[in-house]
Amino acid sequence: MRRIASIDPRNLLAALLISALGIALAASASMLSARGEEAADPFANGGLILREKGVATEMPAMRLGTDIVAKVAGQTARVTVTQAFRNTSDKWMEATYLYPLPDDGAVDTLAMVVGQRVFRGRIKPREEAREIYEQAKAEGKKAGLVEQARPNMFRNSIANVGPGETVLVQIEFQAPVRQVAGDYALRLPLVVGPRYVPPHSLTTASGRPSGEALADAADVTAPTAHPKLGEMLNPVSISVELDPGFVPEGIASPYHRVTVARGKGAARIVTLTDGEVPANRDFELSWSAPGKAPLLGLFRQRHGELDYVMATITPPSLGPAGEVPPREMIFVIDNSGSMAGDSIVAARESLLYALGTLRPQDRFNIIRFDDTMTQLFDEAVPATGEQLATARRYTAGLDAEGGTEMLPALKAALVDSRQKDDGSLRQIVFLTDGSLSNEAEMMAEIARNRGRSRVFMVGIGSAPNTYLMRRMAEAGRGTFTHVGWEDEAEAKMQALLDRLSAPVASNLKASVEGGNLDLAPRDLPDLYAGEPLVLLGRTRRLEGTLTVTGTIAGREWRRSIDLADAGASDTVARLWASRRIAEVEAQRWSGELEHDLADMAVEELGMDFHLVTTRTSLIALDETPSRPRGATLTLEELPLLLPAGWDFDHLFGEQNAGAASVDPDAAQDEPLELPETATGFMAPLQQGLALLALGLVALAWRRRRVARA
Amino acid sequence: MRQAGTPARAQAKAQAKGGRGWRRALPHLLPWALVLAGAATAAQAAWIPLKAQLAQVLLDRAFAESVERGEPVKPWNWADTAPLARVSVERLGVGEVVLSGGSGEAMAFGPTALVDGGPARVTVLAAHRDTHFRFVRDLRAGDAIALERIDGSVARYRVRSLSTVRWDRFAYPAGGSTELLALATCYPFDSDRPGPLRRIAWAERVG
Repeated sequence: MRRIASIDPRNLLAALLISALGIALAASASMLSARGEEAADPFANGGLILREKGVATEMPAMRLGTDIVAKVAGQTARVTVTQAFRNTSDKWMEATYLYPLPDDGAVDTLAMVVGQRVFRGRIKPREEAREIYEQAKAEGKKAGLVEQARPNMFRNSIANVGPGETVLVQIEFQAPVRQVAGDYALRLPLVVGPRYVPPHSLTTASGRPSGEALADAADVTAPTAHPKLGEMLNPVSISVELDPGFVPEGIASPYHRVTVARGKGAARIVTLTDGEVPANRDFELSWSAPGKAPLLGLFRQRHGELDYVMATITPPSLGPAGEVPPREMIFVIDNSGSMAGDSIVAARESLLYALGTLRPQDRFNIIRFDDTMTQLFDEAVPATGEQLATARRYTAGLDAEGGTEMLPALKAALVDSRQKDDGSLRQIVFLTDGSLSNEAEMMAEIARNRGRSRVFMVGIGSAPNTYLMRRMAEAGRGTFTHVGWEDEAEAKMQALLDRLSAPVASNLKASVEGGNLDLAPRDLPDLYAGEPLVLLGRTRRLEGTLTVTGTIAGREWRRSIDLADAGASDTVARLWASRRIAEVEAQRWSGELEHDLADMAVEELGMDFHLVTTRTSLIALDETPSRPRGATLTLEELPLLLPAGWDFDHLFGEQNAGAASVDPDAAQDEPLELPETATGFMAPLQQGLALLALGLVALAWRRRRVARA
Repeated sequence: MRQAGTPARAQAKAQAKGGRGWRRALPHLLPWALVLAGAATAAQAAWIPLKAQLAQVLLDRAFAESVERGEPVKPWNWADTAPLARVSVERLGVGEVVLSGGSGEAMAFGPTALVDGGPARVTVLAAHRDTHFRFVRDLRAGDAIALERIDGSVARYRVRSLSTVRWDRFAYPAGGSTELLALATCYPFDSDRPGPLRRIAWAERVG
């Protein structure tokens, strides 16, 4: 016997119920997704930079002055940064300050100076250091804490500064000097530009707990000073003692006026002509070697049980290896709101110059991005006159607006339509200031999908995110440069394009006699023209010869160095460690190393070498309480200047219109703890409905089977 | 009801394996258990926004009565809170009755005043992000907010800025020259879980 299910009234009822539930579920699901979209709203107004910390329109109660003294010896700079926190209020204050350092620097020393007393910092795992700090703060003791938010971004916190009191926080770091084609450069960033925090990186979709993601976003952002506060909010003085081992020539500082004086022997003392400058753009100092640059630098250090070695080797440059094969060049230009002002002009100029160097046998495409993206052509097209004319018109018409969603643009750029390797080079050139907070997503994407493409970075503007530039270029086996403003575009782009025509040296390997050399990074990178090989390694016993082999212009190359010539240096071990930390991070992005293991490795390196890392912080403590019982502590996060050339009105105009009178976020406030304000009924409601639906479906299905039986 | 006739063969099989009672009952019970559990969970969850809405209907009445009498009138007998004011945003078509005292219980029924009056001339209101203060998400700088008190006075504010702070890092200016109104709720809006962040809409008195 067989009955037709659909005429059974009970089945009909069940079917009706289920469809009603289905509709209800779909409705609630669509409501949720709509909520998800709307959640981006806080970021949608204005320039789409995370402005959670807002704009400061009043002078902070805690004033800050910074003094930087750098000593360049050979290939390494040792830099002391002294921040003077002066409490101008009549309250007890706590202050936090977000500041940049070179992304390849390694912070190893902290001292807190209170009057005549100096308190040395100790390295501790991040959470432990934070705990010590919070406890000292609560007990009224002075405490200074240095934490790392990014390799080029640090945050100092200082607690219990009394009314009218000044406390000095002094940190020291070392960083390698960058060398390209006989020119040397030291870059000291002075300000962190406002970072765009992509909304997706704040939700659980990012794969991190949302609390952690939000804390990270808070870590990398700071209030922006309103232009009416003037430029001398956090003034900086800089002096550099330059002792590179030869008489430096052509000493130049492209962004600041400097005065050069003679020091001891070959040394030169470089100071700012203006004495103090606003902390609103990177300081760069470049010099060159007279005549032929030294081709080799060799240093060693014993640390713990092991010997560390640093060798800087300039491979022979054999000139251009004949005609450059046809290239496919993908230009990715950032036209987000942070680029508004001088940066977009410099970026357009750089791109126009690059377009001019394309040959008919080359192919190219342009991708522009803000919080949306556009590809000029569906795929790379031949660089004919007509196509180039289209590209030029397109480039000239680019305006800067909106958020910095770089990931979709990067993904699009990595799509390689002609995957079979026909000998042509595929090169992706990014033009951006890198003002974003999801750096790790970029490196991960490149590590996973780079294929045969190579990634080159052009850091645009007065305060580019050099960490993003260097690491994206490293992950993409390319190289990077900076274009500070329009006038530099041609020269810097020319140099970059010349260098990126082909790697000069590849397959580089190094070994020492009678032992393994633990290199950082483990695989040596390819070198582009003019770049030296900077080799950092450690081994049980360093003796005999160091041998480096590789392929240069298609031929085998080999170089042996007598390690007895190595000079002693106390910087080598820490440089090795900081390079190894960068490598661990790269392995984390590429998925080679699990998150927890990477954290453990970084923490171990930080503790062993006394370095500030994402997992370790420096903490200094005055054991004697100074804040009287009963006196409250006021927290202030120091506002940062907007980087030079950035357009304040463009970024903050809309939201800040008419916000001149008072600032509710300013200090001298009454603290108030806010209650928990979410019922969170949506999740159980959905779970309940889903369960209900499941039960009904099961019931209906059973009935149907019964009906058929 | 029709006999739930299990096919004879399956029945025999079930018998052969023993435990026939359970094996026969389970397929019947499981869907019903799901339906019941689902309905219970959903009803419990759905009661929260329903209660929030219902309470506002009662509170509306109590508010009108309070204005009439010029003193707080309890919305229901056993209530430990009373209407204080009505906050409304015309552009978004919202109006909510604000309750005195920032207790968690009161917040189930309406926004509560954490700070009101005093020398600071600041009013801080808090409510749940998924019920009464859902509209904070849609507030923009420039929006007009009206605060009608039970003494009949109406204060007009204009939204000046929106910011996000940690719950323990919030502060309001004490002794400022301008009267301020802050609406505080949890953030982010699409999250299901409690978190440390709060969204604050700051408004300035304009009339």
